[in-house]
Amino acid sequence: MAVQWVDNNFMARGYPVLLVLLILASLVPAGLRAAGAPAAAVFDALPQQWRDDKGESFDLQGLRGQPIITTMAYAECHRICPMTIQQLQLLQRRCDELGVAAQFVIVGYDPETDDAAAWHHYRRTHGLNRPNWHFLVGSPQSVKQFARALGFEFWKVDDHVMHDSRIVYLDGRGDVLVDPKPDFVNGPLRRGLTPPIP
Amino acid sequence: MKMTRTLAGLMLSATLVIVALFGPAYNASAAPASTKKDRVDALEKKLDQTLDVVRQLSERVQQLESQLARNQAGAPNAAPAPGQGSAPGAGQNNAPAVANAPAVGNAPAAANAPAVANAPSTGPAAPATQQQTGQRLDALEQQVNQMAASAARPSESAGMPLHGFADVGAGNHNAGYPQYKGFDIAELDFFLTPQLGPRTRALFELNFEVGEDGSVGVDLERAQIGYQFSEQANLWLGRFHTPFGFYNTAFHHGQEIATSLRRPRFLDFEDHGGVFPAHTVGAWLNGSERTGEGKWTYDLFVGNSQRISGGIVDMNNAGNTTGKPIFGGNVGYLPGGVLDGLKVGVSVFQARNIENQDVAPPTYTRVTNYGTYAVYDTDQWEGFAEFYVFENEDLSSGTGSHRSDAGFVQWGYRAGRYIPYIRYERAALQQSDPYFAAQLHGQSYYRDALGLRFDIDVKSALKVEFANTQFTDRHRVDFGEALLQYAIRF
Repeated sequence: MAVQWVDNNFMARGYPVLLVLLILASLVPAGLRAAGAPAAAVFDALPQQWRDDKGESFDLQGLRGQPIITTMAYAECHRICPMTIQQLQLLQRRCDELGVAAQFVIVGYDPETDDAAAWHHYRRTHGLNRPNWHFLVGSPQSVKQFARALGFEFWKVDDHVMHDSRIVYLDGRGDVLVDPKPDFVNGPLRRGLTPPIP
Repeated sequence: MKMTRTLAGLMLSATLVIVALFGPAYNASAAPASTKKDRVDALEKKLDQTLDVVRQLSERVQQLESQLARNQAGAPNAAPAPGQGSAPGAGQNNAPAVANAPAVGNAPAAANAPAVANAPSTGPAAPATQQQTGQRLDALEQQVNQMAASAARPSESAGMPLHGFADVGAGNHNAGYPQYKGFDIAELDFFLTPQLGPRTRALFELNFEVGEDGSVGVDLERAQIGYQFSEQANLWLGRFHTPFGFYNTAFHHGQEIATSLRRPRFLDFEDHGGVFPAHTVGAWLNGSERTGEGKWTYDLFVGNSQRISGGIVDMNNAGNTTGKPIFGGNVGYLPGGVLDGLKVGVSVFQARNIENQDVAPPTYTRVTNYGTYAVYDTDQWEGFAEFYVFENEDLSSGTGSHRSDAGFVQWGYRAGRYIPYIRYERAALQQSDPYFAAQLHGQSYYRDALGLRFDIDVKSALKVEFANTQFTDRHRVDFGEALLQYAIRF
């Protein structure tokens, strides 16, 4: 029986390719097949070098392999940011109840105003002293890059920062889960269906 | 025989690939074959579909390689990754840009396809090992990811962000012009902050507002271009909010930012009944410095001395005819520590020669103002207290010096989306002072108000205010107000 090939040269090179496809297909985990970009691509798109609230260098790569729940805030925000921080605290409590370890990363919108000392003071006065909570200060460029990568919209009006309330979970499958509800902790996160970034 | 083995191998490979990778998308076409011929036909069809997929992947790899080559050659307007690269606030989507960028990443099984990538469109390519092609695609994928990340383009190339505020209202009086009743369109305030560089700043505030005559006018409320030397020194040139007190520089024309429905009357903008020179055209230097847990702030400014025209203080956008300046300064301190949220400060300014152009010949007043303020701003409480003294000198009519004062206190409680507030304001303005006598709204008054702000969402707020206003000189009037405001930002 004859098979009509469109391009014999193409097929001469296609056979090894198909064999490779076969081998790779058997190795591809189910969670990645329907995914967007690989999880590493999302994480790697973020600026990696920051300073923490002690003024020390902080490399985001150090959190690779762990679930990351992140948001952006500024210290002088007394309307939206407090509610966002409350949501993070709620997520933390659910994590504690279920024995799930996660890293909470808060990136400052306004590094010119909120330096390391400001964030150190903020976390002290707000009782946010857990070691898995990280308040990061970056350059204006890295802040904008972080915001664009994860969909945080913001703009400055004098000393005010106009922004939304947004929490992002960096999903190991390559999806970015926005504004996860507390039950997500007992769901996908706990069951390991959203593995950490490889 | 060789052809048969090859064909069988291809069909087997294609079948397994289809099931492994694209089962849901591609399996529906496989119909159960009752005859050997039907089965082979079905397998041939699947194989053709698989080959189509491989060709598409190869073309995509070729496109990415071409795009990378163009970017590396410095091609202008290199397309950013889909969904990325828009300026902040300019309606960017919620998905992270990189998640959509590398199409190669969507089909990891194509990682070793490049041996076929160029086949359809080129002549016979140099044979490449699977390892080499895999390395090429890995490098290409990494570069595309980095390109997508770095194509979070510098702000300078992202265009000028356009944001703004707007508010509309209703009430038994117009919040700014009490002679009017009913519904009103207050203002549409465009806020432009072009990104000019890491240290060069610019701010333009273009306000469409309803004037006292009910017509809509356009005012370039702020037009300032500046340079940030350091955190301790920012220099602005242009038209800016005069840096006295706290409220005048903390809140501008966008009402959505402020808790209260309106500014204190004496602190309102010049064309809305305010008696202060709320705007100055000149130069403004400001900065801050941390000291331990505290922080000092300062402002120094010089500009065109204002004039009075049409009963309104005018900031002389084009310069003044007298050549006289206004100058002043402001020093504030945030102690931090146990007093976190508190800021206290003092300010002073002097307008050397405010010309009243509504009389002939014009008269001149030297306006000197001393102010003190305290602000308490935390997640739970918001409080303002400002008090000012005018020591004005009549330079023309021989009436000598005049002392007046004005002040307000406001206190609010943040309860989630609700912020109730209470305010008392008072202005005791000497009517023998030509500076106040010349102004349409220069009468003395006091007002007490009770209001509530409700955040509908993060970008819009509904405010209600009940107030009692009493004018105590000129025409003594006492009236109650029930006001509503719907304020947004975008």
